Parts: sequence; C-alpha cells; structure tokens
Amino acid sequence: MRAWFATFGVTAQMAFRNLFASRLKTVIVGGIILFGGLLVVAGNSLLDSVVAAMSRSVIGSVAGHIQVYNAKSKDPLEVMGRMMMGDPDIAQLDDFSKVRQSLLKVPNVKAVVPMGISGALVTSGNTIDLALEKLRNAVKRKREARTDVDRANAQAQVDAEKGHVRQIVSVLQTDLKNATAVLDARAIDKEDAEAVTRAASDQFWAEFDKEPFESLEFLENRIANQAADADLLFLNYVGTDFQAFQKSFDRMKIVEGTMVPPGKRGFLFAKHVYEEQLKLKAARRLDQIKEGIDSQGETIAKTPDLQRMVRENVSQVREILLQLDAPKTADFRAKLQRELGSPEKDVGKLLAAFFQTDDQNFHQRHDFFYRELAPSLELYRVRIGDVLTIKSFTRSGYVQSVNVPVYGTFQFQGLEKSTLAGALNVMDLVSFRELYGFMSGEKLAEVQALQKAAGARDVSRENAEAELFGSKAEEAPEKAPRKIEATTTPGVAMRDLGETVGGKLRREETRSRVFPPGEVETGVVLNAAVILDDPKKIPETMAAIEAQGAKDGLSLKAIDWQKAAGIIGQFIDVARTVLYIAILIIFIVALVIINNALVMATLERVREIGTLRAIGAQRRFILAMLVIESIVVGLVFGGLGAGLGAVLVGIIGKIGIPATSDVMFFFFSGPRLRPFIGTSNVIAAFAIVLLVSAFSSFYPAWLAMRVSPRQAMQEDE
Amino acid sequence: MKAIVSVKDAVKNYTLGNVVVPALRGVTLDVVEGDFIAIAGPSGSGKTTLLNLIGCVDTPSSGTVEVEGKDTRRLSERQLTTLRLHTIGFIFQSFNLVSVLSVFQNVELPLLLQRRLTGAERAKRVMGLLDRVGLREHASHRPSELSGGQRQRVAIARALVTQPGIVLADEPTANLDSVTGQHILDLMKELNRTEKTTFIFSTHDQRVMSHANAIIRLADGKLAEGGASNGLAQPASQPGRAPV
Repeated sequence: MRAWFATFGVTAQMAFRNLFASRLKTVIVGGIILFGGLLVVAGNSLLDSVVAAMSRSVIGSVAGHIQVYNAKSKDPLEVMGRMMMGDPDIAQLDDFSKVRQSLLKVPNVKAVVPMGISGALVTSGNTIDLALEKLRNAVKRKREARTDVDRANAQAQVDAEKGHVRQIVSVLQTDLKNATAVLDARAIDKEDAEAVTRAASDQFWAEFDKEPFESLEFLENRIANQAADADLLFLNYVGTDFQAFQKSFDRMKIVEGTMVPPGKRGFLFAKHVYEEQLKLKAARRLDQIKEGIDSQGETIAKTPDLQRMVRENVSQVREILLQLDAPKTADFRAKLQRELGSPEKDVGKLLAAFFQTDDQNFHQRHDFFYRELAPSLELYRVRIGDVLTIKSFTRSGYVQSVNVPVYGTFQFQGLEKSTLAGALNVMDLVSFRELYGFMSGEKLAEVQALQKAAGARDVSRENAEAELFGSKAEEAPEKAPRKIEATTTPGVAMRDLGETVGGKLRREETRSRVFPPGEVETGVVLNAAVILDDPKKIPETMAAIEAQGAKDGLSLKAIDWQKAAGIIGQFIDVARTVLYIAILIIFIVALVIINNALVMATLERVREIGTLRAIGAQRRFILAMLVIESIVVGLVFGGLGAGLGAVLVGIIGKIGIPATSDVMFFFFSGPRLRPFIGTSNVIAAFAIVLLVSAFSSFYPAWLAMRVSPRQAMQEDE
Repeated sequence: MKAIVSVKDAVKNYTLGNVVVPALRGVTLDVVEGDFIAIAGPSGSGKTTLLNLIGCVDTPSSGTVEVEGKDTRRLSERQLTTLRLHTIGFIFQSFNLVSVLSVFQNVELPLLLQRRLTGAERAKRVMGLLDRVGLREHASHRPSELSGGQRQRVAIARALVTQPGIVLADEPTANLDSVTGQHILDLMKELNRTEKTTFIFSTHDQRVMSHANAIIRLADGKLAEGGASNGLAQPASQPGRAPV
C-alpha cells in the first residue's frame, strides 16, 4: 500500500513537473480554463442576482408568488409586460370568495388578492372645453345675479373668460395661417376655416352678450373640436381589492392623495404613468432634461436626446398658450420679458426663447418655470380628485364607460423609475367588472333607475328597430346634438349622448355611493395573486393549489411569478440560455485547444513515454500521469477562475451596478444591483471545469497509451 | 551454463503500409548467464530488432524467444511489461532519462514501479548504485545538469537497480566521446564481473566490440557469413566469433 502511494507520488510528481517544464502550454490551457470558470461563476451569479432582484420586482409589484386563473382560459395569463392593447382571452372565475376559500386551505398560502387586468382608452381633458365651461358658468351666474354688484362681478368674469377663449381662437387662427402657408388649399376644411375666422372677428365677440348661449353653442360645436390638444391615453389597470392589494404588496406607497377607502369606487394612478403620460409635456421634458443632467451626467451640448427635448419644448409651446387667458398672458409676458431681458411682445415667441435652454442656463430656467410659470398652469391633465371617465370595449363588444374618482398616485418602493412595474394603475374591482362587461348588483340597480328616469319601456329585440326609427309618433330627443350639461373637470371629455342622462346621474353619485363589501368578495374576478409564507416552495404550492381547486370543483390554473410576468419573465430564460450557450462555446473551444495542446505535448514526449514503458511502466501508469496533469491544471486554474469570479462578484456586489435605464430599474429592483455569489455556482463551475479538463485529456491519453516501448530506442537522427 | 536467453529461428517482419519489411530472417542464438556480448553489424542489419526481441518490447513474427525460460510470444502485453520490469534493464543510446526527475528519482523509478521495497530499502539500493557509478554527490541533480557520460552512468544505475538478469544496451557509447565511452564500457564490464549481470549490447564500434566475450555479427537480418550460425554465444575461440 505504501508502495502504491509512492508510485502515485512519483506519478503526480512527474505530472507536476511536466506542467512546469512546459509552462507556456500550461498557461494557455490554464488561462482558458480560468476564464471559463470565471464566466460560469460570475455569469451565473449575476444572472441569479438579476432573477432574485427581478422576482422582488415582479412578486412585490403585482404578480405575487403565484397567479391563479381559470384553467379553461384560451390564452395564458400575463400580468406584466403586456405589449399589445386588447386583452388576452381569460375565462372568468365566477365567485372569488369560493376561490379564496379553496386557496386558503392550501398550506403555505398566506394571502389571496383578487384581480383583473385590462386596459382602456381614456381621453383626457381639452383646454377649450374647460375654458368654454367656465365661460358658460360665468354667463349663467350673470343671468342669475340678483344684485348689481353680483352682476358686475359676473360680467367681469365673463369678460375674463371671453378673453381666454379669444386667446385660444387666436392661437387657432395662427395655426390656420401657418397651415395655409404650407398646405394645399384643398387640404383645409373650408367650414372650419370660416368658423375660426368668424370666432376671431370682433363682431362675433361684440354680439356675444346678446345671445351668449347661441354663441357658446357655436364655439362648442365648431371651434372646440378644432382645438384638440387632448391626447388619447391608453391606461393599463388592475382591478382589485385596494386594501388586500396594499397589504399584500407592501412596497406600494401612496405618493399623492389618499388610498381609496373600503367600499368606494376609485382609481389610483401609477406615479410613473401620471408623470409620463398626464403631465404637461413641456414640464415633463424639463424634468427629464434635469434628470439627465443631474443623475446621468449628460449635457445638452452632447446628448442628442436632451437636444431633442429642448427642440420639442421650443416648438411645442402651444399646449401652454392654450391654457393662458388674458390676465395670465399678460402675466407671462411681463415675467418672461424680465427673465429674458427681451422686448418681444408675443408670448409664444417669448416661451420659445425661454425654452431654448443650454447647459449654462438650464437650471435657472427650470427653477424659474416651476416657481413663476407652473402655478398658473394645469400641470397634469387629470388632477387628483377628478373623476375619470374610462371607456372600454367589454368582452361582448359593446362600449362600456365608467366614472371613477382619482384618489391619488402610488408607486412601489425601489421601483420608482421602473416603467414596467409602474405601468399598471389600480382600480376598484367593481368598476373593473363593469368595464369588463360584468353586471354588478349596483349596476343592475342603476340600469333600472335609468330606465325609470328615462321612461324607457322594455322593447323586444325584434321590435327594436321599428321602435327606434319606424315610429313617427316619437319626437327626436333634442335639437342640439351636443348639448352638454356643465361638467366639472377636464378629465371627462368622453361624452356622448348616452351620458347626458346617465352620466350626470352617475357622476353625482359615484363619490358618495358605497358598495357593500360582499360585492367585492363574491363577484367575478379574472385572476388572483397568491402570497406565500415560504417563497421557496412555489412549485409544490402550485401543484397543491391545482389539486385543491379540482377537489373544490374549481378549474384553477396556477403559474409562477416568472410565467405571470410574461415577456419579462421569459427574458430570464433567454438570458440564461444565452449565457449557457456562451459557456458551452467557450468550453468547446477550450476542449479543442486543451486537447490539441495535450496531443502536441504527448507527441513531444513519445520517447520519454516509450522509455517508461520499456523499463516496466504499465499503460495505466501513463494514463494516470496524463490524467493527473489535466486534472491538476483543471483544479488549479478552474479553482483560480471560480475564485476570481467570486471575488469579482463580491467587489461588484459591494459597489453595485447602477441602473441606468427604467427597464434596468425593474430588473435590478432598485437603483443598484448588488450581485451575490451562489455556492452552487462555484461548485458547478468547478465541476464543469474538471469535467472539461478530464474529457480533453482522453484522446491524448489514449495516444500516449499506444506508445510502444520500442519508441524508446528510436533516435531522432 | 544455463542459457538465460534462447532465440530460435526468430523472424520479425514489419509492415510499412502494404509492404512487408523483413527485419530478422531467422536468427538462432543462446545467451548464457553472466555473458558480456556484443551484437555487431551495419545499420539495418537487425541489431535493434534483435535487442527488442530479447528485451521483450517486441515479439517475433515466427520462431521463439525465451527469456528466463518464458516464451515471450505466449505472454500478454501486461505480462511482457512485468517481465521487463523485473528481468531486464535498459541502457539507451541517448540515455533516455526522465528530464523532470532528479538523478535519484530516475534511478528509483523502476523500484517504484515494482512496488516491492520500502522507501528506506529503495534509498539504500539507489544510493549504493550511485556510489558504484560515482554519482553519489549528484543524486539531487537534474539530468540536464550532467554531462553525457554522467547521464549514461545514471542510466546504467537505473538499469541495474532492480537487479535484473539481463541488461540490454543499445549503442551505449554512440553518443559519447571515446574516452567517456571507454569509461562506460569499463563500468559495464566491472558490473558484469562483480554482479554477474548478463550484458548484451549492440554496437558498430570495433573498440567497443573488443571488450565483449563474444560478438554476434548480423547482416541483412541474419547471422553473418561465418558468424555463430549455431548462435551459441560461446567463448571467443568458437568459429564465427571475432577474435578478441
């Protein structure tokens, strides 16, 4: 036995010394192995860290550990990363309370949050609507004024509002002039042009007070539609139980406003959406330029993106101009003239000059904007407290609209800047159900009330056409096609005939009405987020959930957070595949190079091997010698690579990788990714490296074993 | 005296591609224990092939080679290796030391392969032999630090360390100057005398041959005309043997 050790000792010694003797070969082979080991450890650790961070983002923002939905659904459920409008075909879960009961029976389930995810178009406010509404109110007030003082005050207000509307009309007139300069005459709607000319004429405004309502109607019908500064917003939202949602996703923090109280309809904007889509564009661009300069170290002089935003701010002053009535115009003119030291009178040109910022004056202009100008502007198209009218196509294809008050904005801590985590707004479940096309108890009552209020009769489907169009006995409802009762906000621009009666009714009640808590509980949901006690047991719990569902007669499908994250979740798999392919390629290359180097080394040592064989070394001795050589190289350099990788990850972990874009914020679950070293990765790296080095020595070892002792006698003459 | 090596009608053919090249065409000879024999002949005459057959690194295509009474054709590759390890010592023209091992380790190597002796026994044996070849002081040196003659002496020590019955030397002095070659031959001769080890060496050097007890002359794979056709390596007075 001791002799065996001695033999092994000499074998190992020869192996070691051979390695030293051919240093270059050892270093080349070792270098490749080292790099491979480093890549395995660092790459996997990095990826694992991203997965862990991302899982925090996904699990913590909306998905939970597991999502449960109806197994009969045609499409897979994706709660995040939805790229397209339109909803996937998800079958409903009829009674959430049953689902919850069933899920809570499963061990490891901590909480269940009801959900439904959808999206809808919302038209946000239009400045002229707002101005006309104010004018109409002022006119009305003047009519109703009892004292001279009231009347005089009202008249002053009417004049002020008239001034604002005239201002808007003059902006339109400028647009028209510009358009005639560049466009073919045929491209301009003649009637629209005439209407603007008329509305801009002194005569029209001189006669305004005589027949104010007629004039208003003209402005509403012919002018308002031309001043369309309103954008269509596409809002993704999740309908849920606010309280359960906040409790389960505890990174959720209210930024502005308040949480929607229990039993109330309400809407919370994701802060990111609110800033990105609803803020006055000029202000938003100023924010972004500031962010670029302050946090990213960019400069207007060098960064094309910032230059673009400056250009857009210069050319797109119209959205601000439309908001300015006469006094504000005067105010802006005075302030801007002073700030810029310019004698220019045209506020549009002053604003353009003001927004022409460079790296020297940017911060001053930014501060000036927020200090002096912003207080006079509506910075957001929807304000906290407004009622939002959301229109959506229901599952059965008709348009459903729902009014929900906006209670505030929220964000997920650590994911403030993430577009992906911040893309979903939150809505109460009852409103969600209506938009999705489910009849809630409240809705049913409302429809009945509407029918009563409108004096509607039940009409059978067959007779509907005759009832609507065939019968001459019925009067046309009203002459004015868009006679609209005053609304209070710019957030409710989606008006149609159906709303003239129902809309008013709803809007009055929508704030005060409370739905019974049971309605949230028992109603329809599309999916449910499941929060676990032990997040490590996701696969087992998923199986248990499906089994429990089957037992309770519910067809439930459970998917993990990664799958629920849709495209984002797939990113992990893609990244891992890419990494593995890269590792595979590197090791195949390593295999070839190592193999080659060892073959060369073997050929160089043919006589030595022959001598060993001649003096009595068995083939296995030769094999052992070569395999030990390879394994030693693998162990030493693989270990070094893995160690270096671990150190590298450790250092990166200390410093952290900064998230430079919104998407990275999501993947890193915060401003910095701090990668950690997984023991399993180090072990895996070691195993792979050993395997590769052993594998690559097979062929040369086979060659060496075939060396005949006769070759010891061969002379290299 | 007992024949330690017995070669009968040994034929060895090598194939080069499709061509069969005869290297030995039927050689018969006996080597007795304690002999000191030279195999002589020009290049390509079959000297090395004959040494290979006797040294068990190769087996004859026909005929028999018996080493210490064992028919090499009946032995497996492993058994041949074992036979070499215990019975035969090799000395090569280019010394063939393991460059990465020290002098001591080079000499010790066959003992390690044998796995019979303890470390202390091995050290004693190795140092004793190094003493004999005059390299005790160089035990820890690497072969590259030694002169040609010193290297060959290390090789001789290595060949003798297992106390083999036969030592085969393939042109042992060919890479040495004449003085050093002379020393090496004197050493071999002395070991032959004191240890009773059989030496068989190939050479084409007249002066080297002159040291041999007997000379086997080969030409074209056969014993040369007038050579010891009976192959018996008997004292030099026998017919076919060159005068000493």
